[in-house]
Amino acid sequence: MATIYKPGMAAIFETEEAILKAAHKVKEMGFKKFDAITPYPVHGMEEACGIQRSWIPYVAFVMGVFGCSSGWLLTWWTSAVNWPLNIGGKPFHSLPAFIPIMFELTILFSALSSVAALFYACGLPRVNPPIIHPDLTCHKFAIFIPRDDVGYDEGKIEGMFQALGASAIKRAEF
Amino acid sequence: MSDTHQHDHDHDHEHDHSADASSASVPAPTLRDPRYWLSLEDWAKDPEFQKMAEKEFMSSPLQESDGEDGWARREFLKLMGASLAMASAGCIRRPVQKIVPYNKQPEEVTFTVPNLYTSTYFDGSEALGLLVSTREGRPLKIEGNPKHPLNKGATSVRAQAHILSLYDPERIKGPQRNLLNKAKTNRDTISAKWDDVDDATVKQLNKGGVVVLSGAINSPATRAVIGDFCQAFGAKHVTWEPLAHEEIRHGQKASYGEALVPFYRFDKAKVIVSIGADFLGTWMMPTTYTRQFSAGRKDIEKMNKLVVFDPHYSLTGANADVRIRIKPSQQISVVMGLAHEIVVKKGFGRFAGNASVKAALEPFAGVVSQLKMEPALFVKLAEDLIANKGKSLVVAGGLPTLTAQAQELQIAVNFLNSVLENDGETIESKNSLPGLTASYSEMADLIDSLNKGTVKTVIIHRTNPLYSLPPSFGFKDALKKADLVLYTGDRNDETGLQSDYLIPDHHPLENWGDAEIGRGLFSIHQPTIRPMYDTRSFELSLMTWGYLAKKGPKRLQEFETFYDYLRQFWKTDIQPKAGKGKSFDDFWDEALQDGVVGTQASGSSSRTFKTEALSSVKPVQSQGFELVLHPTVAMGDGSLANVAWLHELPDPVTKICWDNYVSVSIATAEALKLKEGMLLELTVNGVTKELPTHIQPGLHDDVLAVAVGYGRTQAGKVANGVGVNSYEMVGVKKGQAIYAGAFVEVKNTHKKYLLANPQGHHTMEGRQIVVEATLKEYLKNPSAGQHKHHIFSIWSGHAYNGHKWAMSVDLNSCTGCNACVVACQSENNIPVVGKKYVIQGREMYWIRVDRYYVGDPANAQAVFQPLMCQHCDNAPCESVCPVAATVHSDEGLNDMIYNRCVGTRYCANNCPYKVRRFNWFNFAKLIEKPMHLALNPDVTVRVRGVMEKCSFCVHRIKAGKTKANLEKRELVDGEIKTACQQVCPTDAIVFGDVNNPKSQVAQMFKDKRGYALLEEFHAAPNVRYQAKIRNNDQEGTAHDNKGSHS
Amino acid sequence: MMKRNPLVLGHKTLKQITEDIVAPVETMPSKGWLGLFLSAKMLFIFYIITLALVVSTGMGLLGVNHPNGWGTMIITFVFWIGIGHAGTLISAILFLFRQKWRTSVARTAEAMTVFAVMTAGLFPLLHTGRPWLDFWLFPYPNQRGPLWVNFRSPLLWDVFAVSTYATVSMVFWYIGMVPDFATIRDRAKNKIRHTVYGILSLGWRGTAKNWSHYEMLYLLLAGLSAPLVLSVHTIVSFDFAVSNLPGWHTTIFPPYFVAGAIFSGFGMVVTLMTFVRIGFPEFKNYITLDHMEVMNKIIMTTGLMVGYAYASEFFVAWYSGNIYERAVFINRALGAYGWSYWVMVSCNVLIPQLFWFKKIRRSIPIMFVISIFVNIGMWFERFVITVTSLHHDFLPSNWGNYAWTMYDTAILVGSFGMFLTLFLLYLRVFPAISIAEIKPVKDVGYGGGQH
Repeated sequence: MATIYKPGMAAIFETEEAILKAAHKVKEMGFKKFDAITPYPVHGMEEACGIQRSWIPYVAFVMGVFGCSSGWLLTWWTSAVNWPLNIGGKPFHSLPAFIPIMFELTILFSALSSVAALFYACGLPRVNPPIIHPDLTCHKFAIFIPRDDVGYDEGKIEGMFQALGASAIKRAEF
Repeated sequence: MSDTHQHDHDHDHEHDHSADASSASVPAPTLRDPRYWLSLEDWAKDPEFQKMAEKEFMSSPLQESDGEDGWARREFLKLMGASLAMASAGCIRRPVQKIVPYNKQPEEVTFTVPNLYTSTYFDGSEALGLLVSTREGRPLKIEGNPKHPLNKGATSVRAQAHILSLYDPERIKGPQRNLLNKAKTNRDTISAKWDDVDDATVKQLNKGGVVVLSGAINSPATRAVIGDFCQAFGAKHVTWEPLAHEEIRHGQKASYGEALVPFYRFDKAKVIVSIGADFLGTWMMPTTYTRQFSAGRKDIEKMNKLVVFDPHYSLTGANADVRIRIKPSQQISVVMGLAHEIVVKKGFGRFAGNASVKAALEPFAGVVSQLKMEPALFVKLAEDLIANKGKSLVVAGGLPTLTAQAQELQIAVNFLNSVLENDGETIESKNSLPGLTASYSEMADLIDSLNKGTVKTVIIHRTNPLYSLPPSFGFKDALKKADLVLYTGDRNDETGLQSDYLIPDHHPLENWGDAEIGRGLFSIHQPTIRPMYDTRSFELSLMTWGYLAKKGPKRLQEFETFYDYLRQFWKTDIQPKAGKGKSFDDFWDEALQDGVVGTQASGSSSRTFKTEALSSVKPVQSQGFELVLHPTVAMGDGSLANVAWLHELPDPVTKICWDNYVSVSIATAEALKLKEGMLLELTVNGVTKELPTHIQPGLHDDVLAVAVGYGRTQAGKVANGVGVNSYEMVGVKKGQAIYAGAFVEVKNTHKKYLLANPQGHHTMEGRQIVVEATLKEYLKNPSAGQHKHHIFSIWSGHAYNGHKWAMSVDLNSCTGCNACVVACQSENNIPVVGKKYVIQGREMYWIRVDRYYVGDPANAQAVFQPLMCQHCDNAPCESVCPVAATVHSDEGLNDMIYNRCVGTRYCANNCPYKVRRFNWFNFAKLIEKPMHLALNPDVTVRVRGVMEKCSFCVHRIKAGKTKANLEKRELVDGEIKTACQQVCPTDAIVFGDVNNPKSQVAQMFKDKRGYALLEEFHAAPNVRYQAKIRNNDQEGTAHDNKGSHS
Repeated sequence: MMKRNPLVLGHKTLKQITEDIVAPVETMPSKGWLGLFLSAKMLFIFYIITLALVVSTGMGLLGVNHPNGWGTMIITFVFWIGIGHAGTLISAILFLFRQKWRTSVARTAEAMTVFAVMTAGLFPLLHTGRPWLDFWLFPYPNQRGPLWVNFRSPLLWDVFAVSTYATVSMVFWYIGMVPDFATIRDRAKNKIRHTVYGILSLGWRGTAKNWSHYEMLYLLLAGLSAPLVLSVHTIVSFDFAVSNLPGWHTTIFPPYFVAGAIFSGFGMVVTLMTFVRIGFPEFKNYITLDHMEVMNKIIMTTGLMVGYAYASEFFVAWYSGNIYERAVFINRALGAYGWSYWVMVSCNVLIPQLFWFKKIRRSIPIMFVISIFVNIGMWFERFVITVTSLHHDFLPSNWGNYAWTMYDTAILVGSFGMFLTLFLLYLRVFPAISIAEIKPVKDVGYGGGQH
């Protein structure tokens, strides 16, 4: 999906602890649209930023059910309705023999659709998105507050960031 | 001959007169041989078609796609549209692009519907009435003539296979001349013209000293032609066959005064004793005798009893109720021992008191002690024979009995039969077999006169002495002394190379002829295809020479074609015997349509046995290993060796193919430290040969058995170098060939050699595969020997309304002769894969005959089981095929859809019977032209990578149903016959619709002996077997298969 | 709770970890790697030629015959599929069990899985008589009037199982690499690398929201792959178990095959990891002896499981009273192919028992040798199952031996060429250890490190 990158303020932190503290603070300050950038999933970041549980499992479940039933429909329709053949003297609708197909399709649909869901949720793939700092995928951490966030005030934010011990503060588009 | 005559037969260039030179000089033979059309005229007097055909067989669609794959389906489709004539004109060497449709269809030819022509086959000792099925003018398959009183629709392996010799790419295409140097050692051959051949021949013939050397000839007309010819040129006719029946004629002469080969009635005999006579496999007329024998076993309560004293493991021995392994030197002792038991001990018969007889029998008093059998059995046998006097039969004969005392053995046998009053009952002397006149002594005389130089010209016909006559006769050198040697063989083979001219005879299927199959039984032999090459029938050659030399009886000279001669001959000679009170044309048409006229001579009565003959019969001393040479079911005397079917066909008993080998007993193998296949060096009569070993259960420890008919050197690509020529091991004594009993020195070379044996394992391991019971068990319990399983299914299964095809195989009738295997191969275009791939386990047979040994290995009995697709209702193969390439038809057939098959081979793995075959390579590509003409257009030729298997001849089912539909009637039971069923000489195979309660197969399914193979797996096969019953006075079978619980 | 050894040695900082792991990607290949790669490549080409010959001439070039309809290709297929199980197992099942030690080996194990499945996937396609028609195995709508596949056939289940497994494991593997690609992208000095890895990384930036979705997806995929990986080898075992051949028609096959798969999979992982440790010494800090030891323990355990399976097969054959079953198993141990059976037993059951000794468990050379034995043994297991059952079934007249040819050898050896080529390439261009996953556990095992 097309994403418009928003201008805003970003602060770089050196350690996991700092970023967690910062995230909490920023949330307390009442910012809503801010986001934290980390090189790896940091423990406790969700509650720090107040992110609610991902909705991908629902997709997985629904598509799993869909896959299973489509598997059954396919096998039943082809071998009992559309082209019933006497194969090995078995019933046209030999359900036990169809279970493996149904199972595999369940997994396939569920897995692929969850991946699709991730792409949707994270707006992937992105072509060459703006990056606040290259080390953010290596050993540094950052917090970004977009301009359109409630009570956005560059001065106040910069102050807060300094208070939180940011190693660098910059205007950035993200 | 006159030009007016020319005018009448503008397509007739039989004779070598001036006007003929023109056409003879045409590179390709085009309009040479008209007799084919004459034959058609007899069917359809259709001049229009004739004209059209002559126009059209100038062009042949077969020439398209020359050089590429052997049989493209597209090409076949063209052929469908091609004319009768063109299809058969495989010889024309002109590239042609157009195909010509049947715009004027001869009335007796309908596309896709085979025409059946009656014919005969004679392999030198057995004559069979045939129906040759032709499609669009080319013979496809050879079947037995059901109207024929002797073989009744059955045929032999070789009768079926000889169709391939018609299409053999290595046949010579016209007369040839060998430019022999003085020593007659060189190999230069040029093609000749018939005119030149005839000129040279006639010149030479006029010098006299002519001999016609031929194989046995059972055609009265041909005999007449030869007779006329001999009369014309003062020639002598010598008949010789490697598998002669001379010993019988000599024995008969000595015993009864008349030299003849009697007709045996195995169907009338209740107790049959065979000493070395393999009458079910290779001896005299196996197909007919198999029919007779099995007829005597159908009613099991009254079934006959077969006792075989077997010098090697013959097919007859394998079917014996009691088989006793002997060595050749014991044969006389066995017969005389029995006679002693009967005449002296039991005092039975009209010779009981006779002192001279007693004296002759005395030396054989204690023979049973030397035999590998308990004396009680011997006594029982004697009692059985006495109890069945007049209803028993003792036979001996064939190569394994040709010891130095062959004639004495025959005398002893005749004596025994006379004692038992069988002569005139089960032995019909009045009904003696014509044509079995082949003689080694005549051959020996010929060689003498050749050496003396009294013979200047030798015409060799239908025999190949330089291959199959033991070199010890010295024929090769003798022949070199002749001035002119003419050979009518179809290739430049061993004899051909020593001949000055090769004047190829027509293939039997291209030629007119007749046959006297039994005394008073006459058959016409029709051509089924226009001669493919520039060949000329042997008879016509003789006639031509008579005509050119202006010598001999009128009929020899006057007729232009052998066909005319034949008709005339039948009018004057045959009709009086077999067709009184009919107009000749009716008689002739009847002969053509039924294929046989007349009735067998009857009224044989018992003859008086000359007791003085017995005095010559003395016990035989033996020492060490004795050689036994024997023909095989497939190869016979080896004359058809270039037919691949025969090489790939496993031997009925050993199951080995593509080789001959020396069979040794288990004990001997241990003594000589032999392993299967190890090369053993045999030295006999100064000849040394190296043969691979086959360890044969149930063989006498002193016997080394080797098959003849192998080791051809000039037969062609297929046959050359396969096996060893064992004729060279034969010794000579008083002009007689000694095939058995000769002392052999052996040396184990310890060299390894691979024998191709498609059967993996040879005992049943206590599994219920071939169910067997003794007669005593059977009388107590008709389903003796069977373990029945409790079978249930968790659902009702599919319903089969309408037809449900099924097959029943009676193992008590089946003799394992393998005729069904070749029938199936011919019917279903089954490829031959060759030795290498048989060894790798890639053979393609749809039906095979499994042979298992039972009982004590040293003295093993054999059982046979034909195995084809069992068409299971719950077919395991079907459910595992991912693409549904094999599914069930609503008539219970397990269909195989070749063009859907991707070749996962899972079906073959899951088939409990392993009857599915996979095309590992593109075998069809190997079919060489013109052999593709023998392919059956009704059956797809399978491509590489697909699975195939027995289809129950589904194309025959379809044809039968269509026919019934067109005639607006129900199918008649037995109307549809599968190829294997149709050929079976024992009627062991019954096919039909089990949903029709009156059908024969439905009846067989009710038989108490019936069981399904591997019943316990509930694959629910549509093939059921009937248990084998052994009439051997035992309480229980040699093996017990009650262990197979599962 | 029990004191555990560090998962990452040498108190690495985040930066060091990144640098260590991406080093092979960013530096020029060593001579050793080049040598290995070229020889693997040659083998691969040789393999391709062999396959081409077989496809163009016919299956007859191989030893398959009547009655042995299946041979080297199916055997080797099952062999590679089996190996292809460890990866998903480690990354999915151990992930669900929260086994932190898995992180350093998971990536490479997954790669191994993907390549093994690719290698295996070729065989069922090429072993058919007419490979160019393999697409008929897929139920696609067509113009031929109702014409579908037979869903009752285990081979069709295979088609679905293997293709699903290949897809999912590949996706799983790739998703796991996305953040690391981003890392490499951001470190990239030259344009090309930046673009390539930029594309591979799908523009990943690692915001907290993304991470939370990402972790959820990873959990889901793990949850889905776990039953999948079990199902795949179960279904592969159905190819045999659903048939009615003595020696094939056995209910124990699914668990037996899965155990065997894990066994052989870990065997191969150990083999490869020893290579990796030799090839890239700095990885020794991430793939530590402890990791190797744990895997050896698993090998030993699963070895016992397959041993149990072998034993119970014999017991059931005897206990069933089915003479065909009995004959097959007696023939298995004592028949023409008895030697292969004993090779299997000694390699799979006896030799792994050496891992009872800690010294051996922790000795790289010994474990390497043992892991090779395990691989050999597991190939022979499939050989024994396939051939000894087929060549000795119901009707003795059908019995016949497998006609092994040089093409069988060529295909077996060649398949390693394909696998190793892919694997060596992977080591060069992809981060062989999951950077994003290893960082959170870098302090595990050090006093006060979080769990």
